[in-house]
Amino acid sequence: QTVEVRGKVIDANLSIGISGVSISIKNSTRGTTTSASGDYQISASASDVLVFSFIGYKPVEKAIGKASVINVALEEDVKGLNEVVVIGYGTQKKSVVTGAISSIKAKDLENIPSGRIETALQGRVSGVTIAANAGQPGSASTVRVRGLTTFDTYGGNNPLWVVDGVIIDNGGIGFINQSDIESIEVLKDAASLAIYGARAASGVILVSTKRGKSGKLSVNYTGFVGSSSPAKQLNLLNASDYGTVMNEKSVAAGGNVLYPNPSSLGAGTDWQGAIFNNNAQRANHEISISGGNDVSSFFLSAGTQNQDGIVLKDISGYRRDNLRLNSTHKLSKLISIGQTLAYSHQKTVGIGNTNSEFGGPLSSAINLDPITPLVVTDPTAAASSIYASNPVLRDKEGRPYGISSIVGQEMTNPIAYQQIRLGNFDWSDDFVGNAFIEVSPLSNLKFKSTVGAKLSYWGGDFFTPKYYLSATSGAAKNTFSRSSNTGLGWNIENTVSYNKSLNNHNIGVLLGQGLYIDNITSGTSITYSDLPVNTYDDASFNFSLPAAQRTGSAYTGVEHRVTSLFGRLTYDFKEKYLFTGIIRRDGSSRFGGNNKFGIFPSFSAGWVVSNEDFWKENNIVKSLKIRSGYGVTGNDAILNFGYLSTIVGGRNYTYGTGGVDIISGFSPSAPSNPDLKWEETAQTNIGIDATLLKNLTLTLEVYRKKTSGILQTITLPGYVGATSSPVGNVADMENRGLEIELGYRKRFGDFNFSANGNVSFLKNEVTYLGNGISFITSGAAGFQSMGSITRTQVGQPYNAFFGLQTAGIFQNTAEINAYKTAEGNVIQPNAKPGDFKWVDTDGNGVINDNDKTFLGNGLPKYTIGLNVAMDYKNFDFMFFAQASGGNKIFQGLRRLDILNANYQSSVLSRWTGEGTSNTYPRLTNNDTNGNFGKASNFYLEDGDFVRLKIIQLGYTLPNAIISKIGAQKLRVFVTAENLLTLTKYTGYDPEIGGNVFGIDRGYYPQARSIQFGLNLKF
Amino acid sequence: CSSSYLEVLPKGSSLEASYYTNQSEAFAGLVAVYDIMRKNSGGFENMITMLNAGSDDTVAGGGGATDGVGLQSFSNYTISPTTVPASYWGDHYQGVFRANFLLSKLPNIPMDATLKARYTAESQALRALYYFNLVRLFKNIPLITTPLASTEIYNVVQAEPSAIYAQIEKDLNDAIPVLPISVPASDAGRLTKGAAQALLGKVYLYDNKLSEAAAQLAIVNGTPNGANPYGYKLLNNFSDLWVVANKFNSESILEVTHTYASNAGWGNWGSGTDEGNSVVQMIGPRTLTRPTGSTAPAYYSGGWSFNPVTQDLYDVLKNDPRFSATILDAKALKAAKQINYISGYQDTGYFINKFMPKQSDVSTGLGNIELNFRQNSYIIRLADSYLMEAEALGGTGARAQALLDAVRSRVGLPSIPVSLNAIANERRLELACEGHRWFDLVRTGKAATVLSSKGFKAGKNEALPIPFKELENTKIKQNPNY
Repeated sequence: QTVEVRGKVIDANLSIGISGVSISIKNSTRGTTTSASGDYQISASASDVLVFSFIGYKPVEKAIGKASVINVALEEDVKGLNEVVVIGYGTQKKSVVTGAISSIKAKDLENIPSGRIETALQGRVSGVTIAANAGQPGSASTVRVRGLTTFDTYGGNNPLWVVDGVIIDNGGIGFINQSDIESIEVLKDAASLAIYGARAASGVILVSTKRGKSGKLSVNYTGFVGSSSPAKQLNLLNASDYGTVMNEKSVAAGGNVLYPNPSSLGAGTDWQGAIFNNNAQRANHEISISGGNDVSSFFLSAGTQNQDGIVLKDISGYRRDNLRLNSTHKLSKLISIGQTLAYSHQKTVGIGNTNSEFGGPLSSAINLDPITPLVVTDPTAAASSIYASNPVLRDKEGRPYGISSIVGQEMTNPIAYQQIRLGNFDWSDDFVGNAFIEVSPLSNLKFKSTVGAKLSYWGGDFFTPKYYLSATSGAAKNTFSRSSNTGLGWNIENTVSYNKSLNNHNIGVLLGQGLYIDNITSGTSITYSDLPVNTYDDASFNFSLPAAQRTGSAYTGVEHRVTSLFGRLTYDFKEKYLFTGIIRRDGSSRFGGNNKFGIFPSFSAGWVVSNEDFWKENNIVKSLKIRSGYGVTGNDAILNFGYLSTIVGGRNYTYGTGGVDIISGFSPSAPSNPDLKWEETAQTNIGIDATLLKNLTLTLEVYRKKTSGILQTITLPGYVGATSSPVGNVADMENRGLEIELGYRKRFGDFNFSANGNVSFLKNEVTYLGNGISFITSGAAGFQSMGSITRTQVGQPYNAFFGLQTAGIFQNTAEINAYKTAEGNVIQPNAKPGDFKWVDTDGNGVINDNDKTFLGNGLPKYTIGLNVAMDYKNFDFMFFAQASGGNKIFQGLRRLDILNANYQSSVLSRWTGEGTSNTYPRLTNNDTNGNFGKASNFYLEDGDFVRLKIIQLGYTLPNAIISKIGAQKLRVFVTAENLLTLTKYTGYDPEIGGNVFGIDRGYYPQARSIQFGLNLKF
Repeated sequence: CSSSYLEVLPKGSSLEASYYTNQSEAFAGLVAVYDIMRKNSGGFENMITMLNAGSDDTVAGGGGATDGVGLQSFSNYTISPTTVPASYWGDHYQGVFRANFLLSKLPNIPMDATLKARYTAESQALRALYYFNLVRLFKNIPLITTPLASTEIYNVVQAEPSAIYAQIEKDLNDAIPVLPISVPASDAGRLTKGAAQALLGKVYLYDNKLSEAAAQLAIVNGTPNGANPYGYKLLNNFSDLWVVANKFNSESILEVTHTYASNAGWGNWGSGTDEGNSVVQMIGPRTLTRPTGSTAPAYYSGGWSFNPVTQDLYDVLKNDPRFSATILDAKALKAAKQINYISGYQDTGYFINKFMPKQSDVSTGLGNIELNFRQNSYIIRLADSYLMEAEALGGTGARAQALLDAVRSRVGLPSIPVSLNAIANERRLELACEGHRWFDLVRTGKAATVLSSKGFKAGKNEALPIPFKELENTKIKQNPNY
């Protein structure tokens, strides 16, 4: 017999309604949620039991019986112990978790205007370092879980992303729509990671997407529009200062005065101003519908985002459209099935050459002289041979874009450069989904089979006109190329799980088997050259060109296969004594015959002290759990066939008087290494979860992880004659860290306050590099003509900055002569006043490469995130700030091998005579002391920064108004991003990701933006 | 989960175990040995610009004092194990490795016996060439003539230079009887009997086996300015040697091939798939422009200004008929407002005209124009061979006189009495900036005197330092005084 039940759910302390409380009928999939005022209504039968639950409150069950009105007062659950976390192939109550897992729920991500999931995750959890690779819209970030686990030759430091159980190996995580995310769990220690075995060493990030709840149909819309601008511009020399500085440089080297009257040059060209876009548009719209009944439930969403870049707006932008359907169906009491399917289309228009000192448009804007005009307006100059006889680019009036005759090499007029990339874009279409069937013959026994796949299509269209940007950058013929690729990765997993509680002993067992194939990839690329048109808009593959003008290439990827068996045992006694054991056996196609399979075990235990009888309830420590674990995980991110000696082509030569016939040569590349095997990471973790003073939650983790047998290319001696370096299990590295997460929530009448903070400290050290090898330079970062600027050495962090150490500047000849060895030899006899005094590290009286020393590390030592939210009546306010530090940044914005490149205004404080500067050396075109040419701490700056990443102010319209349109909630908000960054760093942006963190070569800065948005719920 | 599921085989590349089974695979292996000949003039780290930088003909130049640290430090003799470009060592050993590998496989490949003999001879001759470069550059080097087993890799030691020379001479003597007297036009660039003999003569000269050197070179040279078995002949016009179209001319004995057809880009520059000539790009002036009305040739404008010619070479060549073909006096052209260019590092105003590209030489292919010049380069040409024989003859006698006269008369110079000094002087003028000068100075013991102002130290700089990485974990010992 069906009855209509209604009522109101209130906060027990505050006696006000709580919106969004989930009300479900026990042992069914039906349910509903409360309105903004806390009211609800549901159809049920008299024998049903209603379960009221809401995050942060203790759940309440009420039998209906004869009642038609059931009001409930929920009590806050300060411990948050009933929260459930995803742990891989299942979930676990947070109170009994023994590993180090950080979790973020949908609520924390709502309304945050991130383009990509990595940005959403940034600063939210401890132990995860995330830095953008570029501020270009849509570009990926570098994500590191607990620092560097391996040497980064093949991307092995990237965590494994698992979306609804589908391992996302290829093409990145960019496809996922933030609003679809229900939760993100970051598995950090080996005790939790071992369930993903051979690919888990660098962390696993589990993403679960939303599923429908039975009950009333729920419709949500979130949208915002806004505008972005660069947060910072560099102070570069204007033309008259530039002229003065160039004169000084030239004269110092015995040259002429180049600009007799520098002040007449005036301000000159502002190249930076020319490339920046102060009004880059951004829009985001997302809508979702979810609902269901006893049998089926669904979640359907669609979204679109469109973002213009802040640099060279015509060739910088990102668009993504996405669609998702998740559903679950109950076929019978025993069998249920379900699926997830997401489609996303991405289109990226990029400026190319980001963070490159070789002709990146930002680099050009920084280095070009301010004398060359942006556009040549003087008709005489425009008629000179360089413009008249070359296919130069012109503005709408037909005037040529200026070409510098002062600064050459790769530096080109960035606005002209923009013209040659107009219309070019990359695109991708991703289909990611899975389907499962779950059979539950007994209430505590479950069989589950899942098939998951990611099918991707991607490619790009690229037209380069016939052009002339400078003497070294041009094309005599236009080309139009198109590439298209297909990639498929799929997996099958079968698991059986059994749970049993007996006399306070709770046991759970999971056994599973999996099969994975990815990189089933192929692609083609074609290029048409010398088309009869010269713009992207006119270009077409429909032109019939002779075969010689149509070239193409194709490839087939090498499959990566993994086969696995895994099991997990969880046990607890009265939720007081906890134990988890995991074992996984993986086989990978990337390993040699001698070591195809590896076994990865882990054990962890916990003790909930506060559940002991002797624990007296108190208000200082409300709850306390101590846990510890140890385990081993692996990494197989290496080259395919690293263990074989293959014959490779491309050792070509030309024969014949015709001089155009290239003959292909083949030879072996390197000797084989059949002993190649897993890299193993052993990790020990100790953690404490506590609730202090009623409102403060604390999680503390201390860990030590050691990776041994790091897969690294072995640098064979050159006399072996190998063309490539084979891969071997060579090095060992260790990370130690401390992580703290703090949460605080309190209500003061109508005022709600919550704060969540996290702090992570990290220390990375290379402990072994092979017998007798103290350092390696493979994988080192290079810079311009300096060679390597980082080095990997035993006892130091991986790829730490390495160069000469300055000891001030010689102010006069007496100081030069006074700098001598114990034997009285002058150490820098050729130095001039104004030159750097280099530290003679090895004390042999000569300054050379042996004096180079470690100068700092690019990876931050600590990262901090702080999220503060508050609301008062209908107003809400939040801000999110992050900080990191202890790292150095290599500030390489100026091309030191281009004598006439422009300078930042810091050059004005250079050494010009005794006592003028002890940090910035003299300028000369004959820099024999290598003041600028040598890698040294002169280029390194502190990377510490504090950034106010997001501020948001929202207002929820009163019920009286929104009920007129039948809505449940209508909220308007305004968000500002990157409003404030406190840093001493002199480049655009101190947050610089990449394989080696913190090298600034003309980095695409992050945007500052403001957005206006709307949440609407029916 | 059977382990056969985990066996994924490579596509498009073969396993060593299953390769070298037929004639075409043998040929592909041979091409890979030839590939390293590129080193003479291909890639940033090529022989010609490096050897020029170390000589008194040019300095390093380029964009700045740190542009090409190998070139710079060789030019001012601060070169050290960490600044010497390791590729001069490694690339040549790659050639040796490929030759060793092919020579170990050839006996078991079922194929035409004549061709097999020829491939063997070519591999031997190329291995000789690569070892010749190695021993002249580094002096104390390991001698490896078979593929190394993995257990042997770290136990290799250096051989006496005499043992290296013995192996080079053996390889060439084995190859010469088998190599063809001439090759069809489609095979131009492959080793011939004459090329191997000229090379052997040169090797003997460096090994101080003068009579053997003279004997080999005499066969190649034949009658000065007259007949020889291979049809070699000096070009009438000296400057024609540097015309792009004159590949494999009658004066060319051993030539390195380049083409724009590989469409090289920055990603493969200097690698096996780059077939471009980089010397031409490197020595050109920076941002060269011609004002309206200029009558100067339409030069290529985007060079990198390496190897600016020294005032010293300018002075000795100034009144020589070969001056204008050898040196571009950009200083004078600039003063006359015929051209303008950005001065690079160590700019002298003089550029190497032998390699100076004209706008019409610029690649019309698809790759980066700066990486795709198609000029070939000479390793040995007949004038060089004449002068080497004259030197091997001790710089005396009628034949030596005739050889010297032949070189001089081609450019309209009168006969002068032959002597070792006269020959050395003629070599400098005739072969300026072609990569011979530094080796000549070291071979004749004059380097310490002539190059002292650049910082050359006797007993040290006669050989390059062995690249630092070669000493890591190996038994290789550094050259003296580095």
